[in-house]
Formats: sequence, C-alpha cells, structure tokens
Amino acid sequence: MESRLDRFTYDDAIVRKFVTATIVWGVVAMLAGLLLATQLAVPQMNLGLPFTSFGRLRPLHTNAAIFAFAGNAIFSAVYYSSQRLLKARMFSDRLSAFHFWGWQAIIVAAAVTLPLGFTQAKEYAELEWPIDIAIAVVWIAFAVNFFGTIAKRRERHLYVALWFYIASIVTVAVLHVFNSMALPAGWLKSYSVYAGVQDAFMQWWYGHNAVAFFLTTPFLGLMYYFLPKAAERPVYSYKLSILHFWSLVFIYIWAGPHHLHYTALPEWASTLGMIFSVMLWMPSWGGMINGLLTLRGAWGKVATDPVLKFFVVGITFYGMSTFEGPLLSIKSVNALAHYTDWIIAHVHSGALGWNGFMTFGMLYWLTPRLFQTSKLWSQRLAAAHFWVGTVGMLLYIVAMYTSGVTQGLMWLAFDKTGRLSYPDFVETVVRIIPMYWVRAVGGALYLTGVLMGSFNIFMTWRSRPKTYEEIIVEAAPLGPDNLPKRAEPTALEKAGVHVFGRKIDYFTEANWHRLWERKPFKFTVWVTIAVLVASGFEVLPTFLIRSNVPSIASVKPYTPLELMGRDIYIAEGCYNCHSQMVRPLRAETERYGEYSKAGEFVYDHPFQWGSRRIGPDLARLGGKYPHLWHVRHMENPRDINPQSIMPTYAWLLSDDIDFSVVQQRVDAMAMLGVPYGDAVLTAEKTAREQASLIAREIEEQRGPAGLGGKQIVALIAYMQRLGVDIRTPVAEPSSPTANANKQGASK
Amino acid sequence: MKLSDVVSHAGLAFYAEVALVIFAAVFLSVVAYLFIRGSDLQTLAALPLADDVAAKVEVKQS
Ligand code: HEC
Repeated sequence: MESRLDRFTYDDAIVRKFVTATIVWGVVAMLAGLLLATQLAVPQMNLGLPFTSFGRLRPLHTNAAIFAFAGNAIFSAVYYSSQRLLKARMFSDRLSAFHFWGWQAIIVAAAVTLPLGFTQAKEYAELEWPIDIAIAVVWIAFAVNFFGTIAKRRERHLYVALWFYIASIVTVAVLHVFNSMALPAGWLKSYSVYAGVQDAFMQWWYGHNAVAFFLTTPFLGLMYYFLPKAAERPVYSYKLSILHFWSLVFIYIWAGPHHLHYTALPEWASTLGMIFSVMLWMPSWGGMINGLLTLRGAWGKVATDPVLKFFVVGITFYGMSTFEGPLLSIKSVNALAHYTDWIIAHVHSGALGWNGFMTFGMLYWLTPRLFQTSKLWSQRLAAAHFWVGTVGMLLYIVAMYTSGVTQGLMWLAFDKTGRLSYPDFVETVVRIIPMYWVRAVGGALYLTGVLMGSFNIFMTWRSRPKTYEEIIVEAAPLGPDNLPKRAEPTALEKAGVHVFGRKIDYFTEANWHRLWERKPFKFTVWVTIAVLVASGFEVLPTFLIRSNVPSIASVKPYTPLELMGRDIYIAEGCYNCHSQMVRPLRAETERYGEYSKAGEFVYDHPFQWGSRRIGPDLARLGGKYPHLWHVRHMENPRDINPQSIMPTYAWLLSDDIDFSVVQQRVDAMAMLGVPYGDAVLTAEKTAREQASLIAREIEEQRGPAGLGGKQIVALIAYMQRLGVDIRTPVAEPSSPTANANKQGASK
Repeated sequence: MKLSDVVSHAGLAFYAEVALVIFAAVFLSVVAYLFIRGSDLQTLAALPLADDVAAKVEVKQS
C-alpha cells in the first residue's frame, strides 16, 4: 500500500510573492484614494498637474484597489488553498511565475497609462486595448494553471471554495472579453464597438458582475477555506454554502441593470435588474449567517485572535453590503441615492469592510505559516490594526451616508412656490464638504491600520528561517472513480416495476449533484452555460430589438473637432464627476432640461453617462454659456464660481490639438458605422476650420487670442454640442459636417 | 435585411421574462433539493481541515 502514495511539495514561494504584492498595491491604492479624498475637500490638492488631477487619478485608485490589491489577495488565496484542497502542487511553476509577473506588469502599465490620460472611459475597464489583451493572456495562463491542477488532483471531491474559484475564473474571462470589445484608433486609443444604451448596458453588466465574480465569489472561496482553518472547525452548514453558490451563479448575473435605473435604458431591463437584485438578499445573508455560525462555540477565540476578529467584521460587512445593494436597487430608493455619495459609502463598506478585512484576516493567518515563524511578530499590533481600521471605516461610511442622503435630498427639494430649493448646484456641494473632511480622516485611519499591518508582516518576515523548510506531503493518487452506487434494487424494482421511478429516486437522492462535484469539467461547463445564457437573455434584446432604442432623426454624428473634444473629455476623466443623463424626474428636468432619450446616444462610442455627480449633469450643456465662459471656467473654475471644487485645467489652453490623428479617429468611427459620409475624407481640414471659427468667436467675446490650435477649443466644440441635436429641427445645417449629416440622415 | 430586422419583428420581447422564470425555477429547485434531501455532507465540509495536518510526512531543508 505504502508504495502507492505520491510524494510531493506545495509551491508556497508563489503565495509569498502574491502576498507581498497584495500589501504593496494595497498601500498604493489607498494612498491614491486618500489623495483623491482630500482633492474633493481642497481642489488645490489636484496640484494643477494633468497627471494628478481627480479625473485621471480616480480610475487609478479604483483599478489599483480592485485588480491590484483585491486581485493579488485572491491569487494568494487561490494558490494557497487550491493546492491543499486538491492535494497537488500547482500544475506548472512556470505558469505560476508568468501569472504573477504578468499581472504585476499589467498593474504597472495601468499606473503609467491612466495618469497620462489613456483610457477607454468605462469604469473599472479603463485600460486601453493592448493592456486588455495582456490581461486576457495572463488570465488564460492562470486558468490553464488552475484547471491543470484540478486535472492532476489527488482529492476527488471539489470543496465548495473551489467552485467559487471556478465560477470566478470563467465568468471574469467572459466579462472582460465582451465588455472590452473596441476598435483601435492608434496604439493607446480605441473606441468601444458598442454605442450609447448598448454600451452602457454592456458596461454595467460587466461592472456589476465584476463586483460579483471578482470581489464576491473569490472572497467567498477565501472565506469558506480560511475561516474554518482559523476557527478550526468545519463550516456551519455545507448545504447552505452550496445554496449560496448556485444563487450567485443563477441570480447575480442578472442584476446589472440596477446601475441604470431611470436612464434611457428600456424599462423592462431595469425592472428585471431590480427583481433579481432583491432576490439576492436572502442567499447572501444565508452566506453571512453560515460564516458567522461557523464560529459557534469559538467566540472565545474571537476575543483573542486577530484573524477571527477581521473575519467576523469582514463577514458582517458582507451582510451589510448585500442588504444595502438590494435596497439601493429598488427604483424609488435609487432615485434618491444614484449619483450621490451613498453609492460611495456602499462600495466602501464592501471594499474596506468585506474585501479589505477578509484579506487582512487571511494575511495574518498566512504570514506565520508562509514565513515559517510559528507566530505573528505582534498580536497586539494586529489587534490595534483591527480597531484603527474599524473606526476609520465607520467614519468613512457614516460620512458618506450623510453626505449622500443630504445631497440627494437637496437635489430633489422644491420650495413652496414649486421651484427648486437649491437651483445652484454648488450649494449642494458646499454643504457636504465637511463630510469630505470626515471621510479623509476615516480613510487616513484605515490606511494607518494597513501600514501597521504591513509593518507587522514585514517584521514577521524578518524573523524567517535562513532557508525555508520544504514540507513533503504524501497522498494517494486518484484511483478509478468509484461513483456512488445506484441504490440496490428496491422491493418494487425486484417486483419488476419502475425503471422510471428509480430514476426519480436517483435524482432526489441528490447523487447527481455529488457526481458533478467530482466532475470539474462538467461542472465548469454548466456554470459557463448558466452565465452565458443569463447574459444573453439580458443583453441581446437591447442589441437586436429596435423598439428598445428608438432613433431620433435630428441626432447627428459629432464633427471631427467635436470628436477630438470628446476624446479630451474622456482622457481627462470628466465622467468621473459629471453625468450626461437627465433622468425623467421633475427635479432633474427642472434643473437640467429635457430628460435624456435612448436615441440621443447612438453615436456615443463609448457612452459617457457617468455614475456620480460631483459636478452637475452636462447632458444639456450646449449653448448654455458662451465659449469664453468655458475658457475661463476651465482655466480656473474658482474664477467663475469661488466655491467650486472642480480641478483647474489650465493646460488645455496651452496644449495643442494633435490634428494629425483626426483622420484616423474619424475613420475608426466610420468603421463602427457612424454615418460620416464624405466628411470622412476631409476630417482634418474640417476640424481646423471649425477650430479657427471657435477661436475667432472667443476673441470676439474679448477672450484671449490664438487659441485656434489649442485643446480647449476642441473641448468647447464638444461641450457646446451636448444636448443640442434634440432641439434642432430635422435637416437644418448647423455644423461644418452638415453635408455629411444630410447623407447620414437620408440613409 | 439585417439580423436586428428579423429579430425585431419576431415578437421576442417577452423572452427575457421567460428566462427570468426559468432561472428562478432552477434556482428554487436547487433550494428545494438541498432542504429536502441534502444528504451527508459533513465529510465534504471537513475537507479544508483534513489537508495538511494528516498529510505532512517529512521536512526537507532546501
Ligand atoms: C472633481 C470633480 C470634477 C471634475 C473632474 C470635473 N468637474 Fe466640472 N464641475 C465640477 C463641479 C463641482 C462643478 C460645479 C461648480 C462649477 O461650476 O465649477 C463643475 C461644473 C462644470 C461645468 C459647468 C456646468 C454648468 O452647467 O454650470 C462644466 C461645463 C464642467 N464642469 C466641465 C467639466 C469638464 C469638461 C471636465 C473635464 C475636463 C470637468 N468638468 C471635470 C466638478 C468636476
């Protein structure tokens, strides 16, 4: 018998690498977050530089928090726990190394390109196409490595944590591929192949499921493995964990449209998103209760063990966020909360509470084991981290709730005469600035905790042995699969009846499910099918059924110069502070004008609806102010509006428009089906003409001379176009591409 | 004639609701199965605890 046991080792070196990366990027992500928080309280903190301005840095913060910090945490968990649960070393050490270094290279590429303004402008999917391709390649390497390990496993049953990993790996791949479809228009520039409503739908199908399959399912896998380990007892109910898994696969995938309530999204999609979101509440709480009850009888340990403290609070925050999410997806609540800081509170209770605390719980459990030091450098410092982090997080979240509800109510408020109580947007900003200070303090505390944790882990690492011991493990290889035997023929069957009855019996005995758990390939295929089918049913109708996006004859493509201006708007990340979507609520139509229609966005590759109104909506901006107003406002918003918190954009007045790329960009748009007609041949000339026209008008308004070739002019061209088409009677030439427009319209 | 012309005229708009019902039904049957029949799962639940303790046999200095 003995001779039949395999001897092997686990690869812990790779886990040590991922753990280190988790900590490093966690600090970077939170530093960026803290800088952004102070920028909103003191706009001078934008430092007057392009790379440090809010619109460019915010994507860096979110990407670093999600893909660098949480991402490396996930990989640490997957590489550590999968090897042990499968009783096998990772499939290929080379692939592990490729995965690790590839992923870090992607993060570095993100950290360089985002501040430089290279972005696809879709939240949490901002990275430009070459990086997107790299992500796909690295992800596939990860998948091969992971499934390869499953293939050579020595434990037949797949523990539930592994299911969560499988679902995550498969779904993230699907999401990334479909949402990132873009047509390149240069090395670091591309346009989403989808436009307007469809692009928005794709984006939030992606965005929401990234929350589900990047920030939830892998962390649940982490929880189902590391919590029992730390508590030294099995999970409270395995049944509940199965239920938890399938509910996420079957229900979560539908919930995306709740990000787009009251927008130009078709009503049915929005309602569907709401129903499924509300349905998610119960299984999520099932998961939370399952986690907490795992500690039954071990609460004494919680008081002394920082690992369990982090887990308990992490799981509690999972419960809070998964209660709040369904609440926010109810349309009437959403009308108040959307575009406000309430959403920021929500995501941070998830990110800081759930992802952050689960990560640190895991790290504190892992480090003494990985660095073979028998214990953490200081339990007391870890406990201090816990308390500082918890207080910081609570301050952060309470501040953002207060700010969100306050601003939301102010936007909706009418006075006795039926007019908006706070018609001046900036009033609603000034009111919440104190909360921005509280948030910055809370964030700083949380970061302090993280620094304490990093130091603690660093000191633990310092007392590691000179060489790590390699532990040799033995386990029997998988023999031939002994399937659960079908029940012995029953009395009835012996009597010659009921083949069918036996089948039913087989089904209800649940053996099929246990079989699945042993057949990872089948299991993966079915998860993938469930995800694809749900996504297809949800997303395709907006593409294929016309009535979902009624067209509007007066809506025309952007002129070449406007397109360039739009690209500047995208590069500067204005969408991080400004929406372009007037909801059909009286408070909004009073404030901004006619509500937005689906047909207005058919040429918007990518859409720019935004998700947070730190500044006012811009969908109806065109014609509201003279050009010169914009010049002065962009140069320094506080010259016009002393209380504004918008960053200065003075460089737009001195940086040149790159006319050499105009043609390329218009061509790309034309390839995507935007009807440019003949204008496609003279894009650069048309752009230059319109630019000098606007520059002349600025001079006539007694503004600075010589802006003709400057970026500000392109941006102004774009801003003056926003929301104008819908007011224009059909076929009235109003722009240099009028000819092209006519052709487009006659199609 | 584009694909969207065909699909637009096929009267499929209600399909999303049908899919909703199917997904809800499948999900509810998983729930039902688990609660009526969840057979012995304790051995599975113990998997993470079984891993390194029992398996460790010797230590190699590397
Ligand atoms: C940090 C968030 C932030 C960013 C980033 C930002 N803005 Fe603003 N914006 C504001 C705030 C707050 C206001 C309201 C106060 C004011 O008028 O300055 C505002 C106002 C405006 C207005 C006036 C709207 C109106 O109807 O009065 C325009 C136009 C504008 N921003 C354009 C832009 C453009 C273009 C960009 C990108 C280059 C941009 N903003 C980036 C916060 C921001």
